[in-house]
Amino acid sequence: MISLLLAEWRRTVVETIRYPLETISSMMTLFIVFAGLFYGATYVTHSPIGGGRLTTVVVGYAIWMTMMAATGDLGWSIQNEAQNGTLEQVMLVPWSPVTVFLVRAFMAILAFLIPMVVVVVALLIMTRVHLDWQWLALAPFLAALGTAWGLGLAVAAVALLFKRVGQVLNIVQFGLLFVILAPFARFHAVVWHLVSMVVPFNAQVLLLRNLLSHTRGSDWIWWESGINLALIATMGILSFVGASRIARHRGILGHY
Amino acid sequence: MLNVEGLVKQFRIRTGLVDAVRGVSFSVAAGEILAFLGPNGAGKTTTIKMTAGLIHPDGGAVYVDGKNLVTERNAVLGKIGAVLEGSRNLYWRLTVLENLLYWGTMRRVSYRQARSRAFELLDQVGLTDRARSTVQTLSRGMQQKVALCQSLMHHPTVLLLDEPTLGLDFESSEGIKRMVRTLSDSGTAILLTTHQLDVAQELSDRVAMIRGGQLILEGTTKAILEKYSQPMYSIISAIPWPLNLVDTARKVMGNVAQVSPDTLQLIPQDGDTDAIYRLLNALHPHPLLRVERHQADLAEVFQQVMSKGALA
Ligand SMILES: Nc1ncnc2c1ncn2[C@@H]1O[C@H](COP(=O)(O)OP(=O)(O)OP(=O)(O)O)[C@@H](O)[C@H]1O
Ligand SMILES: [Mg+2]
Repeated sequence: MISLLLAEWRRTVVETIRYPLETISSMMTLFIVFAGLFYGATYVTHSPIGGGRLTTVVVGYAIWMTMMAATGDLGWSIQNEAQNGTLEQVMLVPWSPVTVFLVRAFMAILAFLIPMVVVVVALLIMTRVHLDWQWLALAPFLAALGTAWGLGLAVAAVALLFKRVGQVLNIVQFGLLFVILAPFARFHAVVWHLVSMVVPFNAQVLLLRNLLSHTRGSDWIWWESGINLALIATMGILSFVGASRIARHRGILGHY
Repeated sequence: MLNVEGLVKQFRIRTGLVDAVRGVSFSVAAGEILAFLGPNGAGKTTTIKMTAGLIHPDGGAVYVDGKNLVTERNAVLGKIGAVLEGSRNLYWRLTVLENLLYWGTMRRVSYRQARSRAFELLDQVGLTDRARSTVQTLSRGMQQKVALCQSLMHHPTVLLLDEPTLGLDFESSEGIKRMVRTLSDSGTAILLTTHQLDVAQELSDRVAMIRGGQLILEGTTKAILEKYSQPMYSIISAIPWPLNLVDTARKVMGNVAQVSPDTLQLIPQDGDTDAIYRLLNALHPHPLLRVERHQADLAEVFQQVMSKGALA
């Protein structure tokens, strides 16, 4: 397992930094976006930057970006590898495809988070702002990440069968935006509890908001965050395993 | 040792069903090279992919060293190496060495062993100096050699090659062929498909011909070539045969034909080993270039088998 992790880590690092120009330009983009958030927040609130408001904006944006990457990465990589002819070789290694692709998803997020953390920390130092970050908030963040991977596996399942991921991903991401913005909390309590267990991210985002605004969140949101993670992750794994079985039957793992 | 038993595959397409493979069985022993030949769409790639577990068969089974591909998948995959048709089999942004290390460690070879194995293989295909080039900067032939190295990182006992020399120039083809021979000498069981019948003839110990998803001919290359060779002689003259000499020859031997200005053909009666000497006596002392007995090549066998079916 360690060797699998290391192999994927090396591949991910090499593929990300092979072309320094690409790396630099994507770092620059990240920097500009976050700088915009840091300074923009001051402008809008007319108060010196810092405090809870900025934390919500920056953290919220960073998490949104991470979730989008986590849901999309696997699907894109399967589509590309099917076209480039490496997918079949991946299916030939003596590891189960779910394991390989989950490890890849994990490495892709590391490669995504590291530059982002670097940029945010650099901006924190430059602007001398103190982000009001709670370490406990890592729990709902990780739960949301796991949920996103579950969704990512489902998108990857679609990619395995149809080799076309763009449209599906648009729909999924639009759905997520809706889910996060929709005022489910206004529903009748029973409905809302059911919804937040089934619909991805809802409970986790609420918990995160609570934690960042220093309320510890009630027990049931914790439960619902966990159940939601378990549910979506299981759904993702099952659909991926099912799709790779169907692809094997139809002979479309490659690019027939 | 590879055993393939009764593979069957039907594909559902828009216009109906395609019987891609209809009950194909064969085995490849350690150190043996089996050439899998057939026209486009005969079912070669489908068979190879079923053998590698990339396509799930409707029926039949695959065994490597006695282990079943379905029930002991990872153990079997650990013994198989494959270079698939047309696909690139490699990451283009990684260097040659990075690719070999990646695929080696993914196949459970330790990093250190993968390193020495990579250099050993690159040395064999003469690409040591390109170890640090990215794959996208290599020529087609070099890429194919690296893909072959990639499939060998874990010392597979069974190697599957789908059209390994397609689109390669003479030099590159020779390199691949040399490597294939070395591997078979060291005990690897090799199954290869190709449309280049000369390559198949040069490399293979055995040949299997497939058409419409069914094996129609299978046997050792030597026996097949022998069987399809005719008891027929060509007598080739240094200058075009003079008409009167052809007439004399015809008078002596009924079954002589002039097939080209400088070639006479003799088909003797069964067991008449004396016929060729009588004919040569009749032609004496005309200057000859060559006298040869007909020797079939795989191209001839292939053509005949595909158009008229296999000999009984
Ligand atoms: N995934 C698939 N879905 C539907 N039909 C398929 C699929 N794969 C192969 N076929 C069909 O099965 C038949 C056998 O194809 P296959 O690729 O095995 O032939 P082949 O012998 O490798 O041919 P070639 O020499 O052109 O490579 C063909 O009729 C092909 O169209
Ligand atoms: Mg083929």
